Amino acid sequence: MRMSEILIKNANVCDPAQGINCETMDLCIRDGKIVESVSESAEVIDAAGRLTMAGGFDGHTHSAGKINVGRFMNPNDARRTLVPGLSGPEARTEKTRAQVGYNTPNTYAIGYRYAKLGYTTICEAAIPMLAARHTHEEFKEIPILDKMGLSLFGSNWQVMEYVRDKEPEKLAAYVAWGLKASRGYGVKIVNAGGGEAWGWGKNVSGLYDPVPNFDVTPAEILMGLAEANEKLQLPHSVHVHCNNLGKPGNYETTIETMKMFEKVKPTVDRQALHVTHVQFNAYAGTSWRDFETGAPMVADYLNGANHLTFDLGQVIFGPAVTMTADGPVEYANSRMLHEKWSNQDIELEDASGVVPLSYSPKSFINAVQWAIGIELALLVEDPWKIMFTTDSPNGGSFVNYPEAFTYLMSAKKREQVISGFGKMALDRMVLPGLDRELSFYELAIMTRSMQSKMYSRPEKGNLKVGSDADVAIYDIITSDIDPSVEHEKVKQAFSGAAYTLKDGNIVVKDGKIEATPMGRTYWVNAKVPADIDSAMNKDTDIKFKKYYTVSKSNYMVEDSYLPNPVEIRTEGAF
Amino acid sequence: MQVVKLSLNKANKIPIEADTVTPDNFAGKTKEEIEAILVWYGNGQCPLGDFFTVEVEGSDSAENTKIVFEGNVSRVKRIGQGMSAGEIEINGNVDMHCGFAMKGGKIVINGDADSWLGCEMKDGEIILNGNASYYVGSGYRGESCGMRGGKITINGNARDYLGEHMCGGEILVTGNVGLLPAISNNGGTIVIEGNATMPASEMKNGTVIIKGEISDMLPSYKEDGTEEVEGVTYRKFVGDVNAGGKGMLLIK
Repeated sequence: MRMSEILIKNANVCDPAQGINCETMDLCIRDGKIVESVSESAEVIDAAGRLTMAGGFDGHTHSAGKINVGRFMNPNDARRTLVPGLSGPEARTEKTRAQVGYNTPNTYAIGYRYAKLGYTTICEAAIPMLAARHTHEEFKEIPILDKMGLSLFGSNWQVMEYVRDKEPEKLAAYVAWGLKASRGYGVKIVNAGGGEAWGWGKNVSGLYDPVPNFDVTPAEILMGLAEANEKLQLPHSVHVHCNNLGKPGNYETTIETMKMFEKVKPTVDRQALHVTHVQFNAYAGTSWRDFETGAPMVADYLNGANHLTFDLGQVIFGPAVTMTADGPVEYANSRMLHEKWSNQDIELEDASGVVPLSYSPKSFINAVQWAIGIELALLVEDPWKIMFTTDSPNGGSFVNYPEAFTYLMSAKKREQVISGFGKMALDRMVLPGLDRELSFYELAIMTRSMQSKMYSRPEKGNLKVGSDADVAIYDIITSDIDPSVEHEKVKQAFSGAAYTLKDGNIVVKDGKIEATPMGRTYWVNAKVPADIDSAMNKDTDIKFKKYYTVSKSNYMVEDSYLPNPVEIRTEGAF
Repeated sequence: MQVVKLSLNKANKIPIEADTVTPDNFAGKTKEEIEAILVWYGNGQCPLGDFFTVEVEGSDSAENTKIVFEGNVSRVKRIGQGMSAGEIEINGNVDMHCGFAMKGGKIVINGDADSWLGCEMKDGEIILNGNASYYVGSGYRGESCGMRGGKITINGNARDYLGEHMCGGEILVTGNVGLLPAISNNGGTIVIEGNATMPASEMKNGTVIIKGEISDMLPSYKEDGTEEVEGVTYRKFVGDVNAGGKGMLLIK
């Protein structure tokens, strides 16, 4: 199936990694990579001056693992058809399997629909290590896309003990072992310590509130894991879901967390910290009554800081499904909203919860949440710090990305939505005063280019010679369109790529799936000195003997779970 | 007036999904056209004429169209799904999802109905002269609103979860019902002339009247005086307190 050579003619290339801002040129592809030139016999795709970017990279999405709990809690989601062509039931075709769903689509639909949006790589945001097998089983059934996942370490007994006992080398060894055991790509920390506290029906109230029975604080866990992350020279920084998520007034904790990382020295050329779905962590006020946006304060700090990246967690009005390892937050959600609630205990590792909900523009809280995501994107000056996400499906399904892009690119579109808000909502946000409109170049940074550096994947998110030939061509002539006015056209073009190429294969043409090759799974194998590794293993042996419900040998994800693995080796600086 | 008679040629084991069998879809069509209407059978679609002998008298609009099933269609599902007008008469037993999401018109069943009768019904009327199975007038799995309007009359018994997640409309059962009728309902009226077990749990709103005996009355209801309905005085309970509900449960 693989075409050995392709020439994309007249591509209006927008590739921020090379500083190319909508310049018309030809792109050459050989054996799945971008090359300087191709022979006369190359297959020709005429881009006809249309907008061409590298394949999109969603660096924070819940698409494998916990999403399955969302599926069985929301069988009704299967029949939702809110976004035409990208949701609801679709019968199988010769090329595609049957599809269902909106927030929690089946695995095949996830692959097809991301590809239709021009996305070619996703990062699952939370792998509970004990359940990693399940994540990889779902990865196996998500076609087209390249995948990676972040393993959860933030409420792990072994982690907290090593932090408490000041054993940074063993902690690093444990992280390396955990990544190998779960075939994960990086370190995810969700409400540090809160998952363990939730085991006792409690939560941690901030960075310095000790975790019950472990005598460590969330701040110590964060710093300990950051140190381990850098010791192992992992390709991604720690990926942090801050404490106090979803609570009015939490912007202070968020800024405090960001500040704490100023002293972390990255050992790889990337950020020292990624703070995720900041929308949920940029709330001011003291209760839901006086709740208001905290985005200006957070953005103000971000504008002066250069050690971190963040993603939006933009809210989309309509039904969503929240799913997080932040167990106590989900309990609070379900009580407040009288919604269905699922709760899981991941033994020694973390908690987890799933709650479906619906964001309504009539609710002033939801309206302000919606505004905060956009405010962050517009108030933070440097798009290289910002990754576009909806924390799919927490803020809303990824199939709404094209709609959300228009919020960022068109003040008119925003006005349209804002006109439906009540006065109370308008008083609590700053969005109506913002007239910044993002360009295609800035959008490309947030949706593919910055991810390349953020995840140290130089072959992704750009169209440099030698990079993966993941290309998206959208039906937009940038010189003829004013996205500020013609936002509907922009939305339509991003909803079904004219072409999506994955490793040089045409996977989408005119918004329809053409081919469904198997993507890769990236995982990190970090080297640890043998003596430290064996000392750490003695400790974990005890954990497995005394507490786990599975044996250590059955815990490890075997090679057979990764049909197309890419092992990223790191040397470590011990 | 248009009358379409359908007689099943041979009892089928694999269910037929007859969501295309509605007065809306049959109105003004000839025998040949109706025979050519596709229904799902297993994993493929077949013309209706493969299974049924079709007789057509007259030609008229949907509201003046009557479909009559002669004999049991106990493996034919989704008859009258989404219909908005006209009438369907079934002289025998019928399979699941009969009258699913119907918006108007009338279905009369002279036999028993399998589960999900009239689920997510919006308007219209269903009269069942026989027994019903589970989930009469309820919601699709996972949905928070079931039946929203219209009326279902069951001249017989019904099994468990009658009116689950009901938001409006009316259900009348002249016989007994099984477990948990009116579970999680949020509106509408359910009248049960016979007996019921654990009625109205997690009810948020609506009215439930039970004229017969109740087994396992749930403790999460507040007694609040009496209420007279059509000359009969009932003990009035309000709840379900567990769900912060304001529903009214009237019992003898």
